[in-house]
Amino acid sequence: MKNETKGAGIGQIWNWKITAACALFLFLVGMLAISFGPIHLGFIDILKTLVGAHGLEGQDRTVLIDLRLPRMILAALVGAALATSGAVYQTVFRNPLADPYLLGAASGAGLGATIAITNAGGNIYGWLPIFSFFGATLAVMTSFFISGRFFAEPNTLLLSGIAVGSFATAVQTYLQQRHSNALRPVYNWILGELTVANWSIVSWSSVYIISSIFVLVTISKKLDGLLLSDEESFSLGIDPNRLRMIAVAAATLATATAVSASGLIGFVGIVVPHLVRGLTHRVTNRSLATIAFVGAAFLVLADLGARTILSPAELPIGVITAFVGAPFFLFVLRTRRVSH
Amino acid sequence: MIKVEDLTVQIGGRTILNDISLTIPSGHWTCLVGPNGAGKTTFLKVLLGVREYSGSLQDNGVEVYRNHKRNVAFVPQNPEIPTGMTVSEYVALGRSKVDGWGNESTKSRKFIEDVLIQTQLYGMHQRHVAQLSGGEMQRALIARALAQEPQLILLDEPTSALDLHHQISVLNNIEVLKSRGVTVISTMHDITLAAMYAERIVVMQGGRALLDGKASDVIHSAELRTAFDNRINVYTLDSGRPVIVASKDESNN
Repeated sequence: MKNETKGAGIGQIWNWKITAACALFLFLVGMLAISFGPIHLGFIDILKTLVGAHGLEGQDRTVLIDLRLPRMILAALVGAALATSGAVYQTVFRNPLADPYLLGAASGAGLGATIAITNAGGNIYGWLPIFSFFGATLAVMTSFFISGRFFAEPNTLLLSGIAVGSFATAVQTYLQQRHSNALRPVYNWILGELTVANWSIVSWSSVYIISSIFVLVTISKKLDGLLLSDEESFSLGIDPNRLRMIAVAAATLATATAVSASGLIGFVGIVVPHLVRGLTHRVTNRSLATIAFVGAAFLVLADLGARTILSPAELPIGVITAFVGAPFFLFVLRTRRVSH
Repeated sequence: MIKVEDLTVQIGGRTILNDISLTIPSGHWTCLVGPNGAGKTTFLKVLLGVREYSGSLQDNGVEVYRNHKRNVAFVPQNPEIPTGMTVSEYVALGRSKVDGWGNESTKSRKFIEDVLIQTQLYGMHQRHVAQLSGGEMQRALIARALAQEPQLILLDEPTSALDLHHQISVLNNIEVLKSRGVTVISTMHDITLAAMYAERIVVMQGGRALLDGKASDVIHSAELRTAFDNRINVYTLDSGRPVIVASKDESNN
């Protein structure tokens, strides 16, 4: 503080170079992820193949284009969706512990998936994302509907989300008990998995996730106003109710899509926003784009771990996110406290 | 000029403001005084344009509900304190109406620095607002309002958390704003301070405006004493300044 000179102003609130650096980091992590595996693929060959020049052929090409690339992109999309919506929920509810699954999206999706698994014979996996997407959306809409007072008090929505979530989980458990053969697939789904990734899942989920994140990043500068009381943000030129509604709708769409494409992957929505805030010492929502890139990179790395650590077997990705995320998170929390 | 006619506000079936009619002149400091529960804070929120009302409340001929044409700064008594936000970020929020959200110009950043110096917050501007004392937080709020360069400023008990030195410093900051033509409307528990700074005083009790007039007239009025159940005494110092103190017992009157 002694080194500060008067007259220079207070400095930038957010430095966009950080965002650019994180985008580059995501690119490098992505390249790393598609190159590693039982079959090693060279960086140069991958780049050549991607730009359409003479690159990989035959089996190598199939591994890259049909297996690793869609899986890596899906991991990035899901990671970005969960991290961004986590950060937005934390702002809207002024609660640092809020996570993307808070409004019943997770339990709703879980119930939808369980209904799909228990009622459909044969190949249900094509239907699973659709059922869980509807489940998640329906649960969140029910939470909204029940908490008619949302506009007066955001915490009411939070509480009704918890109630709807518990209800959906109860129904899900009942269904599981009645169809014990469904226990294992449901359990696998709950732990989260990206093994089913293919271009069809990537294409539909990217539409929802990228457009939601686009909306959220567009309004991100205004979101800081929601950290104040409604009267204060109103006097600063914001309509807090309208802004909250847009933010929650976009974050929920991103979450529901992520959950239905990959199951429940915990911890990303809480750990990544706090990680970015902790490392940059900035609470501002202007970091939202950065949070999206870091979330994407985090999940791509976690998935790389999930498929290589016990290779050829796969670890559930949720195990990796928690196993690596929790200690790292505690480390950041600790250093952050010391530095202030 | 703000013109209030038959203003009534009901919340959950309770009448908070009851049939208020008065005029608030531009470029002056108007102070709302009265006991707790008189409706002062609600009146400020209505003036901000954020709360519905029946009757009419016009600023230069335009109804203010969600439609204020002026840049209005609001300084609440109990602000929401964002965790992890630094003082300079917090004050910078005030520039959102001038530069657009999140687009502080270099000029604005210099302006924010000046405001921080003016409110004696420079030097602690990298600290988190959550770590500020009550008085420092109050000054951060004032700083944000100053950064807003408002045309109308509404303050809810701007001095209640402050020691004597900072009370005067904050009130002088507000007086500087007024000298630039800004209309000031505040609530204030300390009627002596209200009489010292405000040109006009509105006495409120039970949701009604009992009296509205020049500060010097209102101070010596029967209505002011009525609003406080005759539990105040007004003395005049040699300098001619009135001092208003609570009386210990009604029989003293």
